[in-house]
Amino acid sequence: MTDQELGDYLRRISGTKVNRRGFLAAGGLAASAAALAACGNGAASVAPTSAPTAAPGTVAPSTAAATPTPAPTSVGKDLFMYNWSDYVAKDNIAAFQAAFGVDNFTYDTFASNDELLTKLQGGATGQWDVSAPTAEFVPAMRDQNFIQKLDLTRIPNAKYIDPAFKGLWWDPTNEWQLPKDWGTTGIAVRTKIVKEPVTTWKEFLDIAPKYSGRIVIVDSPGDVFVAPLKARGHSLNSTDPAELEQARQDLLALAPHVLALDSDQYAKKLETEEAVLGLVWTGNVLPLRDKPKTADIVYNIPTDGTLFWLDTWVILAGAPHLDAAYAFLNFIHDPEVQAKETDFNNYATPNDEAKKYVDPKILNDPAIFVPDDVVAKLEGAKDLSRDPTRIAIWKEFKSKIGS
Amino acid sequence: MATIAEGAARTRSGQRSRSLRQGALTGLLLLPAGLWYVILLVVPLGIVVIFSLGKTAARGGYAPGLTLDNYAAAAAEPGPFVTSLWLAIAGTILCLLLALPLAYFVATRGGSRKALFIVLLVIPFWTSFLIRTYAWLTILGPDGLAGFIGDAIGDPAFRILGTPVAVLIGVVYGYLPLMIFPIYVTIERMDRTLVEASKDLGAGRWATFRQITLPIALPGLITGSILVFIPLMGEYVIPAILGYGRVFLIGNLLVLQFLEARDWPVGSAYAVMLIMIMLVSISFYLWFTSRGRKSRDVSVL
Repeated sequence: MTDQELGDYLRRISGTKVNRRGFLAAGGLAASAAALAACGNGAASVAPTSAPTAAPGTVAPSTAAATPTPAPTSVGKDLFMYNWSDYVAKDNIAAFQAAFGVDNFTYDTFASNDELLTKLQGGATGQWDVSAPTAEFVPAMRDQNFIQKLDLTRIPNAKYIDPAFKGLWWDPTNEWQLPKDWGTTGIAVRTKIVKEPVTTWKEFLDIAPKYSGRIVIVDSPGDVFVAPLKARGHSLNSTDPAELEQARQDLLALAPHVLALDSDQYAKKLETEEAVLGLVWTGNVLPLRDKPKTADIVYNIPTDGTLFWLDTWVILAGAPHLDAAYAFLNFIHDPEVQAKETDFNNYATPNDEAKKYVDPKILNDPAIFVPDDVVAKLEGAKDLSRDPTRIAIWKEFKSKIGS
Repeated sequence: MATIAEGAARTRSGQRSRSLRQGALTGLLLLPAGLWYVILLVVPLGIVVIFSLGKTAARGGYAPGLTLDNYAAAAAEPGPFVTSLWLAIAGTILCLLLALPLAYFVATRGGSRKALFIVLLVIPFWTSFLIRTYAWLTILGPDGLAGFIGDAIGDPAFRILGTPVAVLIGVVYGYLPLMIFPIYVTIERMDRTLVEASKDLGAGRWATFRQITLPIALPGLITGSILVFIPLMGEYVIPAILGYGRVFLIGNLLVLQFLEARDWPVGSAYAVMLIMIMLVSISFYLWFTSRGRKSRDVSVL
């Protein structure tokens, strides 16, 4: 059984989309090869021009110049992607395969940035073409020669990227990564049960004992440290020993009340009311608002500030199918293709032009496309996964969950 | 005379070449297993030991070094070792208690349906281990058994998932067949006339079981226990899924060390310590179960 089938199965039993950080961290055990080739075979036989949705550039004149109609020169038949699970719309993959004749589109998955780095440090270079690390991991990948500099002349659609996502600390010259999508870490509340307002991290931590055993938290240190640090007004990237000591005490006070550390099924736990409060990512929780039984769920972006993450497309060093990799990166940022990505992922796109085609319901959702005054409070993360104090605190926290 | 001597010489050389051929054959037959052993066991083990003495590179991973600090760091946190050890022991005992009657029943009372029982025991293996574990989420969840019990005792907050009980159920379910089959094989091969003789000589059912069946089944019990105990010590998936991350075992700690902290040397030190703990506990177990039975070797192993 491939991961893809497993992903489908999990989605069926959970009733929600399992996307992005969705797949269980058992990646090692579950093996990783998930060939999407099967779903592409049918589409690949269709002539590109006869598939209007598949051929970008046929509708909007503004995009016509930028997007390649079926490439005259072949980009090869293979593309190997290493990505979060369910993080690219299947329709778009099929359309890409049809447009460029890439018959073998292999989609392997990782469960965390750390796992991605570990695999590459373990010598897995030259195995994949394209990957999607979170931005703060790009410098480490650059310094260790895991990624290659992008030739932006081959990605004309990069011009649509919002300048707000350019020149940030992880890539001042914008030549190592191409922004993919972004979102926030926030608080999910089942307002049916939790009547108090929980709009800040401070309120979240203070109220935890009252809802002991009904709090779910994503299994990701970078996100969990946000709560105690922001609750006390510190930077979420703090490495100050005194501030981290405070954070440690706050986390250890929280630990006994946590139901689960779970990056995979947290939305399911909120859905069944096993958990009524969550420190979560947006993508999986938002669809619950559309179900009658869970319409009371709200996603709050904490007003004392929180983390915004930006996932990025990178081309890995030694990519065996460079042409296909560039073709894909340019294809995926075609405004209409990109809009479909947003509709699929429920994550905000950094592509300005694509917003014109995004489902208005998603575009007007303040939990996804965050209002400007909230954006001002957001903070990008640094890669602190090697900070020994943080590792020690995280280990202690993790071993004290529920005890 | 000459012909006899010649003949003898020919026979001797024939024997020599035959034994040479046999040696080559033995070597050839051992080659796949030997290669497998060296490449997949000895070499990785050596790498882990070398890593455990090294330093952590600045960006994570391994940098050469020679230090025992990693062991000190690992030994400073015995918690997950203790949890793993008691869970592995409890899981093994539970498997034993469930498997013995079941294997006994299938082996002695199975009759013509023996094959059917065996097939029924094997069928679960046709489904992915991960899927079967996820299925327990539904069975034990608030819409399943936990909800039912909660309603019955009037406690809506009652839950099984995220407790050691859920993890125990998961591991016993997952590893039970590994216990059943070795026991089944030993009981199946047992000479039934011994039991009859025991009865003829006036022993009751319990005495017969204790003095005849149990000693004969013992090699199977030992094999099964070790087959269950070893993977249980390293268990990672079941506590992560059914334990909600609240049951923190050595396997989970290893994953954290390697994948989250990217601290390979300390992770390797944990791994070496885990191997040592298993060696010690299994040696003790073998010594304990073979006291006073020096003549019987545990060949089933």
